[in-house]
Amino acid sequence: MYCDEALDAVEAVAAGEMTPDGRLADHYATCPNCAAALGDARALDRMLQSRPVPKPSAQFTARAMTRVRRARWRSDQVLDVGFNVAIAAVVISIVAAVWTLIRRSGMTAVSNDAVDVMTSGLVTLVHRIGPSLPLYGAATALLATALAVWWWAERDAAL
Amino acid sequence: MDPLTAAAERALVERCRAGDEHAFQELVDRHKNLVFALIARTVQDRSRAEDLAQDVFLRVHRGLPYFRGEARLSTWIYRIVANVCLQDHGKPVASESLDDDRRSHPGPGTTDRQFGDLELRDRLEKAIARLPANYRLVIAAHYLQGMRYEDLAEALDLPLGTVKVQLHRAKQQLRRLLETELK
Repeated sequence: MYCDEALDAVEAVAAGEMTPDGRLADHYATCPNCAAALGDARALDRMLQSRPVPKPSAQFTARAMTRVRRARWRSDQVLDVGFNVAIAAVVISIVAAVWTLIRRSGMTAVSNDAVDVMTSGLVTLVHRIGPSLPLYGAATALLATALAVWWWAERDAAL
Repeated sequence: MDPLTAAAERALVERCRAGDEHAFQELVDRHKNLVFALIARTVQDRSRAEDLAQDVFLRVHRGLPYFRGEARLSTWIYRIVANVCLQDHGKPVASESLDDDRRSHPGPGTTDRQFGDLELRDRLEKAIARLPANYRLVIAAHYLQGMRYEDLAEALDLPLGTVKVQLHRAKQQLRRLLETELK
């Protein structure tokens, strides 16, 4: 039995996690260095076991809850702003798309020459915008959906 | 507070997830002593420990929606404690010498035993502060009532044997630091 082997086992023996067998026990009994190390390890173990357990302050829970509430409020604010920005972007996109459609379908020309259109009759107007009606309908539905989701989210946040 | 059964713990987590503030307060009350003690023993600065312990509960609150319940809630909280301690205190506090107080106090041989114990305790705390953060954490946790060895291994995501080896090495290092004091 070498001292290295005995010293490696000192912590486990001191903590009671290992019972020294015959050879190890004999070594601790005969080697003053290893016996001293074991004594030190046991003393250290006792000191560590008797360390006082720190207690949190009486206001700990209240303070923790305040921090949690503050963090949640901030997170809600960020979510709210993000949602509003997203909705605004969608609305702007829809308006831009509708405006582009109107320009491409010649509606601006219609408005500039309203008197001519009125005179050439309602049928001509319907013929012109007829093919684009599904697109207008889809854009309007998208806008209405966005506004409805916005209203729903705002109502949910207010509750 | 009585320990919760697994079912009651799941119910508490569900209430917290549903936004029940009282449930989260109960969760804090149930775990604050152990969380604070573990952190205070690792960082050794009361106000900092209180701040970090609150950080832990903030992280718990944020993380609850993602808590899958595969481990016990307490184990998951210990994992957060370990991360907070290791992130915040990666470096040992090495600036203070164990002998800093020696000049201001008479030695144990000239004072009564109680004072000698106090001085020794003070030196122990300073020695612990000089250990690497992971060693401080295992020392703090292992000698804390209510903290199971297995919980610590699971929290640190390490095999039980590795945690034991780390603990033995931490104590070996501590013993070397205190060698002269214990004789």
